Amino acid sequence: MQIELRINDSADPKARYVSWAPSPCSVRLSDPTGASQPVQVTLRQKPAATGGQVRFRDGPSASAKTSLSLTLPLAGAPVPFFLTGVFGRASVMDGDVTVEVRAGTQVLGSVPLMVRVRKDAAKLTAPERDRFVAALAKFNDRGAGGFAAFRAMHTDLTSPEAHGAPGFLPWHRAYLLDLERELQAIDSSVALPYWRFDRPAPALFTPAFLGRSDSNGTVHFASTNPLQFWVTDGVPGINRRPFFVTGTASANVITEAQTLALGNQYAQFLRMEGNPHGFAHTSFGGSISSIDTAAKDPLFFLLHANVDRLWAKWQRRFGRFDPALAASFANGPSRIGHNLPDTMWPWNGITGGQRPATAPGGDLAASSCVTAPGAKPKVRDMLDFQGAVAPHSQLGFDYDDVRFA
Amino acid sequence: MGAMRTRKKATARKASKTKRRSRPKGKAKPKRKAGAHAAAARGSYAALAAAALDPGLGVRQRIRALADLSGEICDDTGTFHGVLDILRDAKSPSGLRLAALQALQAATFSAVKFSRSRPEYLTALRAVAADPDLELRQRVLGLLARERDGSTQQKLLDGLKNPAKALVPPEKALQLLGYDVHADAYPVARRIVRDPPNPAAKREALRLLAADAASAPVFEEILRNKAEPAEFRQLSVSVLHSLAPRSLQAHAREMVLDDTEDDDLRAAGLTALTQFGEQGAITADAALVQRVDRLKGGKGSAMVKKGARRFLDKYRP
Repeated sequence: MQIELRINDSADPKARYVSWAPSPCSVRLSDPTGASQPVQVTLRQKPAATGGQVRFRDGPSASAKTSLSLTLPLAGAPVPFFLTGVFGRASVMDGDVTVEVRAGTQVLGSVPLMVRVRKDAAKLTAPERDRFVAALAKFNDRGAGGFAAFRAMHTDLTSPEAHGAPGFLPWHRAYLLDLERELQAIDSSVALPYWRFDRPAPALFTPAFLGRSDSNGTVHFASTNPLQFWVTDGVPGINRRPFFVTGTASANVITEAQTLALGNQYAQFLRMEGNPHGFAHTSFGGSISSIDTAAKDPLFFLLHANVDRLWAKWQRRFGRFDPALAASFANGPSRIGHNLPDTMWPWNGITGGQRPATAPGGDLAASSCVTAPGAKPKVRDMLDFQGAVAPHSQLGFDYDDVRFA
Repeated sequence: MGAMRTRKKATARKASKTKRRSRPKGKAKPKRKAGAHAAAARGSYAALAAAALDPGLGVRQRIRALADLSGEICDDTGTFHGVLDILRDAKSPSGLRLAALQALQAATFSAVKFSRSRPEYLTALRAVAADPDLELRQRVLGLLARERDGSTQQKLLDGLKNPAKALVPPEKALQLLGYDVHADAYPVARRIVRDPPNPAAKREALRLLAADAASAPVFEEILRNKAEPAEFRQLSVSVLHSLAPRSLQAHAREMVLDDTEDDDLRAAGLTALTQFGEQGAITADAALVQRVDRLKGGKGSAMVKKGARRFLDKYRP
């Protein structure tokens, strides 16, 4: 007797990643040999002292359980269930959670999986940090890799697509998601970490991670850090000169509490584009302090992961996931690319006219775990990132400190 | 200066009036709907603008107000001009001018909203590009260099050719020219590599030459010269990998096999092989794999051992 366990409705090992939002899964009898009637099975997590933890649900909004009893039809029809990570118990490495299916004491099958969420960069374990920088360096591939398209997406010429209007937050959410999925194609265990710019992050600005700046603003890396081979626009290295003491101080920004208190309407919260967002960028000299060059520095993506996390926290606090709710987004028409029904450049491939002359990078990268937001996302697709309103809207990422419900 | 002060006061007065106007008369506590929030916010920004521009307030208070103004600086022409005035005023405290610059910079991230203010902003930056305050000058030149400002690039180049004209140290000038590399910077960069005023200038000159295929022999020479500091040789490895990606494996292999090589270079070579090496060729390279295995348990630095462990995890799992 054998079973097939599908995570995120897929048998692909690359789909074995869950977060706080419920992931649709199923189990079925793939070989009923030895069984003469429907088989009663129990799903549970194999005990482990460390690493991720998951819970089981009958339905997306059913209560979470440590084990789940299901009856598997002899004919092999799949029986659906849902898996969620236990908030606060994310994985630290790939496959550190094992889900077992038992019939009585007999283990019919098991799969390893990971509770993969975006974490505070200052708190990553050394292996988590190393996997992230290795994937990023690989994607840059000494300036010849896929990262070049991402660098080209965020410039002065393309800025109107992404800044100074309501689409600021959705556009950057798509941008980060696209990059994260590219990194996951290199190493599935990687999630984009975030830089909490309102707190000191001594572990981030080190030679082993994003590098240490000298007084000239040249960033230095450890000889074992592959980011030493970072190249953008044909020039090796990174320029970044912090105007604050990275080991003991935060950037010159308003706090998280102040940001979340900007208001419960999207138009009010959007003020965060200036402070903390703009002030986080300009707390440094170097590439990151100008729109045209900011994306040359890997720190850009950690900074924006925190901007996105703040939006996610705000959405959770005020229930602002539903695009149909006026307070979730700006009211009234904005320029193209900044309205809920608009497609977003460059993923829409549209060039010329009101859009930039070129559209680097092609479609938004697909995920093995979720189907949203599709290859050519619209602004509205970026709001319900956890699938809180519609489960199929889930974008496949979560933050370590933003609950699902 | 007198005219500037008058404008500041006028802006402060205007901001103060805006604040008063935002309070609806005859209603003690209006409902906090979106419109009311917006009105309250406008009042609050006007008060912040007034504080930021008020020379009678303390510097800290004004700096805080500039930060809180956030992206709204260019919403009001008077406020925008007032902040530009702070930036240009050499008699203002340095910290206040830097705060004004940061607030303006942060506003540039709202690119479309900022677009109409941009020409004046750039003019103001150019006006302080030779300011006596080195920190301010350096930040402003960085901003202009990232804007690919031709006159700034020329000034930086002139300073490298004639140090008496230099606005910033050579290593900073070279770094800033790297934001928009032009071939006319290559001769001066090569000269600085040959005869550097300091090690940082040599490093920045090498980075600038990284896109210049004709400079490949310079990097080859540095890489082969063990008397050169490890930092330059490491940078040469990186640059040669960019100029000629296929050379990576050969250079890195050579460094890893060489027992007289610097530990940092060996660790960098191991990192390069692990990260960018061709799986098939390296797995089949028994001599290399065996040597790395010895490095893992040898007397080398912790970095070499770490690099060796990662190499073996990948190529000999």
